Amino acid sequence: MKLEGMHLQRMLRGQKRSERVFKIVAGGALLFALVALAILIIDVFLDGFRRLDWQFLTSFPSRKPERAGVLSALVGTVYMMGLTALLAFPIGVGAAIYLEEYARKKNWFSRLIEVNIANLAGVPSILYGLLGLELFVRMMGLGRSVLAGALTMALLVLPIVIIASREAIRVVSPAIKEGSFALGASRWQTIWYQVLPIAFPGILTGSILAFSRVIGEAAPMITIGALAFIAFLPDSPLSPFTVLPIQIFNWVSRPQKGFFTCAAAGILILLAVLLMMNAAAVFLRQRYQKRLYL
Amino acid sequence: MSPVVELKEEQPIAFGIQDLNAWYGSFQALKNISMSIPEKRITAIIGPSGCGKSTLIRCLNRINDLIPDFRLEGQIYFKGKEINDPSVDPIEVRLRIGMVFQKPNPFPKSIYDNIAYGPRLIGVKNGSRLDGIVEESLKKAAIWNEVKDSLRKSALALSGGQQQRLCIARTLAVDPEVLLLDEPCSALDPIATGKIEELIYRLKEEYTVAIVTHNMQQAARVSNYTGFLLMGELVEFGPTEKIFTNPADSRTEEYITGRFG
Ligand SMILES: Nc1ncnc2c1ncn2[C@@H]1O[C@H](COP(=O)(O)OP(=O)(O)O)[C@@H](O)[C@H]1O
Ligand SMILES: [Mg+2]
Repeated sequence: MKLEGMHLQRMLRGQKRSERVFKIVAGGALLFALVALAILIIDVFLDGFRRLDWQFLTSFPSRKPERAGVLSALVGTVYMMGLTALLAFPIGVGAAIYLEEYARKKNWFSRLIEVNIANLAGVPSILYGLLGLELFVRMMGLGRSVLAGALTMALLVLPIVIIASREAIRVVSPAIKEGSFALGASRWQTIWYQVLPIAFPGILTGSILAFSRVIGEAAPMITIGALAFIAFLPDSPLSPFTVLPIQIFNWVSRPQKGFFTCAAAGILILLAVLLMMNAAAVFLRQRYQKRLYL
Repeated sequence: MSPVVELKEEQPIAFGIQDLNAWYGSFQALKNISMSIPEKRITAIIGPSGCGKSTLIRCLNRINDLIPDFRLEGQIYFKGKEINDPSVDPIEVRLRIGMVFQKPNPFPKSIYDNIAYGPRLIGVKNGSRLDGIVEESLKKAAIWNEVKDSLRKSALALSGGQQQRLCIARTLAVDPEVLLLDEPCSALDPIATGKIEELIYRLKEEYTVAIVTHNMQQAARVSNYTGFLLMGELVEFGPTEKIFTNPADSRTEEYITGRFG
């Protein structure tokens, strides 16, 4: 007995020690990541914030750095993101509902789809760009348009939207669903009145985070040929366009010092858009959860 | 249909179950069950955990249709009609045969919306009519006095016993003919259990009640008829006092005297 007690104590002490070590390592890793991020942001901020003014926000690109602006890229990004969301959100949520609520008998087909979705989420984005170029720009004849870009980006985020939505739908307790069925609800009514309201905050958050990835993606946009020098705003889904990452990329590759400042300012705007989207995700989630539970 | 088990009194039959076999995948959960459930009486299903009690009553409102690899053979007549007949709509079955589950499962909505959920599904839109249904159902389930001032509050804020009575009220709101209760008190404390038992006892005036329980005192207290299930088989079925005082099968006797289970 006594021996065992001592043994237990020693074991507990050992555990405490390894827990402390783990805490320090994990904390250090986090600190390192945060410091690196902070340095990066501060550096960009110092380079770019003087350039952040109304003129920069409301001007088209120009050959002269001091007259250049981010307007067409910003509007192009917002436009393309809206279209992407419009395309990918309903399809992604629909697919998730289908996989979780209808295709519940696991057969080779549903397994095949599942494996493919998981794999697609890991495909490098440039491949989506090549697919978009071939399929939307050339075969469907959409040209280098906002629509072609949005379709490409929709393909890119679709697997992420589906996976996030499935996670959110799976959280809904089977007991709630059974309660609904027992009151004579059809499957669709149960999905609409019970599953979706409960899953919605999760679906929304996951999707917004997926769409915010669209904002930063440059590779597929370069592949489908979004241009950097656009001195007008897209007036239809078929007009040519540019987006922030491409504009930034273009400015960075110019020799003049002034364009370098423009690029830094462009990055700040990109970060601001990202931050606003994440804030929207958090806000919407809070709001819906409150409405559900009290 | 013919009543398979003779009932002592001349009570109309709600359910006639004949040669019911049920499987989850390749596992047979029910074997050759034949029994009759009388109208406006309380029928208890007892038996040790895992013997198929839930499976049996979940066949009665076709809620087990929703389990992907569930399959059944045999007949279940409700008021003379086979409920698994292709011409029968499972939704109609579930509207006429309500069910309350083991763990209270209120929807994460207000108390009012929980009760109004069923009526709204069948198209009741009129506000004052819904108000009436909500009030009446909550009164029938003996919870009106406790919640009448907080109908807009979340149902999740209620206590377990209140939640279970809310679930009963929610089921009554669609005006069913039968109430299936699957161990409705097993998650509740004795006081809440007492309230629900009292409620069940009153409900038989209007409804056919089938209650699953693994609490034998409960079966003896509230039910008129009792069926004893063991490993998927119906060992014995008959009037409750006969099952508890003079069982025909030795296994029933062993179970109710607490020698196993
Ligand atoms: N969804 C299911 N899938 C597979 N087996 C199940 C399922 N539900 C119940 N079973 C099995 O069927 C048997 C009877 O279960 P159940 O009817 O829930 O018993 P009880 O309600 O009497 O405890 C048990 O052995 C259980 O493991
Ligand atoms: Mg059970």
